Amino acid sequence: MQKRILMAKTGLDGHWRGPTIVARALRDAGFEVIMIGMANTDDIVTSAVDEDVDLVGLNVGGHIDVAIRAIENVRNARPELPIFAGGTITPRAAKQLEGLGVEVYPPGSQLTDIVDAAERLTGTK
Amino acid sequence: MQKKSTDKAFFSRSGIELKSFYTGDDIPDGHRDRAAAAPGEAPYHRGFHTSGYRSKPWRIFQLSGFGKPEDENERIKFLLKNGETGFIMEHDRNTADHCYNVDHPEVVARREDVGLTGAVMQSVRDTAICMDGLPVDSSFGHAGGAVVQHAPFALAAYWTVAKQRGFDLAKLPGTGQSDFNLTYLGCVTKEQIPTLPGLQFNADIIEFCDRYLPYWVPVSIAGYNAADTGLSPDQELGVLFANAVEYLDEIKRRGSVDLIKAAKACGGVSFRASIEFIEEACKMRAARLMWADLLRERYGISDPKVANLRIHCVTAGSKMTYQQPLNNIVRGTLMALGAVFGGVQSLGVSGYDEALSIPSEHAHQMSVRIQQILQEETGIANVTDPLGGSYYVETITAQLAEKAWEFFEEIQNQGGYLATLDSGWLHARAAENQYKEFMDMENGDQQVIGVNCFQDDESPFEVDGFMGTDDAFDVATARLQDVLRTRHEKAATAALKQLEADCRSDTNIMPAMMEAMSAEVTLGEIGNVYREVFGNWNTPIQT
Repeated sequence: MQKRILMAKTGLDGHWRGPTIVARALRDAGFEVIMIGMANTDDIVTSAVDEDVDLVGLNVGGHIDVAIRAIENVRNARPELPIFAGGTITPRAAKQLEGLGVEVYPPGSQLTDIVDAAERLTGTK
Repeated sequence: MQKKSTDKAFFSRSGIELKSFYTGDDIPDGHRDRAAAAPGEAPYHRGFHTSGYRSKPWRIFQLSGFGKPEDENERIKFLLKNGETGFIMEHDRNTADHCYNVDHPEVVARREDVGLTGAVMQSVRDTAICMDGLPVDSSFGHAGGAVVQHAPFALAAYWTVAKQRGFDLAKLPGTGQSDFNLTYLGCVTKEQIPTLPGLQFNADIIEFCDRYLPYWVPVSIAGYNAADTGLSPDQELGVLFANAVEYLDEIKRRGSVDLIKAAKACGGVSFRASIEFIEEACKMRAARLMWADLLRERYGISDPKVANLRIHCVTAGSKMTYQQPLNNIVRGTLMALGAVFGGVQSLGVSGYDEALSIPSEHAHQMSVRIQQILQEETGIANVTDPLGGSYYVETITAQLAEKAWEFFEEIQNQGGYLATLDSGWLHARAAENQYKEFMDMENGDQQVIGVNCFQDDESPFEVDGFMGTDDAFDVATARLQDVLRTRHEKAATAALKQLEADCRSDTNIMPAMMEAMSAEVTLGEIGNVYREVFGNWNTPIQT
């Protein structure tokens, strides 16, 4: 069955290059991608539950605490759901996310690595 | 370095096939005679003035702002002390772009983000703090208001503070941008007025400045925001002029502003200066040529010099890499060099930490120093249009202009610039290029040092992002409550009512906006009026 990935931006910042390219690569690799765009924590949790997704991808463009709040709330609702993140995440913030078990793909990451991660995290491969 | 076979074809970023060398025979026939013109002569691709940077060095003009208004004020003063020759007041994107106050639920949900991309300015009181002691009369100031629905507020707040401090608006220099490419293409917001009222806002600003602020650049079309979203240099040119004709046609329809003055008002534009810097220099040259041709052919402005194109340039933020960030100092320098070869009037160099965050103080200072080294040490400013007459540069300049007009025509065939924003046609063009650019890096056709080659996991050059201050949200919340509690409520209500009435009619909204500022109406209240009157733009892309 086709695996479903929820993609959301945690900030109110409208740069769309990164998440759009990643979404296209994931679709090309056979995933169903549900883009909800700029979404607050409640929107992200609701979609993660209602859409019964297999993976959450967060585009982080602002402060890491906003992303961490979203991650913690998703974890409360669906503890087993894997999460990965991309965007302008500083090295220090990346370590914080990795400490929470979230894989981080900063600018300059290869799409093949991101797709590989999605396949591994959803058990497709 | 990658070995390159001799039979491989080479292309510029605009898709122009490049020869291994050029001779005079390569310059397109239509351009050969024109290419021989001197700076100051039609078709002006070599510049509008013979003396170039000798008489007027380019303006050092850096994006700046974060935290509380006083944090931003301090950073701007730091930059001015270090030799910046204009200043830019960035507003917090969360609140400004959406016209939200900090107590809006979407902002509260992201409270830590507040102040990360500019200072929070919700009322004229905040703007006054940010402008404290800034040389608004003698220096070119950017009031903020890059996003269309935010511009009337940002401008009116700046002008109101300037007036309160005794400055004469009739002599005030500056800009606020109000850019369609940013608002509807490059950084699509969560909520925004539709494009048609947006066009009316910009026409209102042009009219208001014509009447009261003749030295102000009322709107500034930013090719940058189209290019850094993915459009190629020829497309960036085409889209910029497609945008310009929307403004000028609307002004012509209104008949309220002399067309030459309107053309001058629309002639302060910005472009991206990217890393393929020769093509970028050609792009700036092509832009001046195209502007002169457009004004003459479409509007019958016989001497386009009267409405000369003034170009601000920003080096490409998306070319700054996350990996090995100090390499970005070299990239910034080369991109700046391309802009200067192109004869720009104003320049901002992205911080070397651009891929991580807004600039740290150190990165900001480095951006200024790069420009100062170019201006003071290299001698590049001594001769106008140093690349002029190069077979290669003249050929590419002419070919870029030709390709750009083709893209301009494609946009017209799609129903015009606004239609291509509403339909998502431009976003699709950008996305195609983004993907190709990414795949070129992915498969190694495009080497990016430190990213897909010459990586170094043990890099000694690690830089962490600059995260500003952590009290911006709390202070903005307290100040908002203070304004709402202590302002003259009756005056504020009346001003807001008048603004709403003018939004609903075809009255210019700027006089009512000025009144609203004096009455200390807040940003979020104005946003609520917009949402009520205009509704929300139907975004053609999911971000």
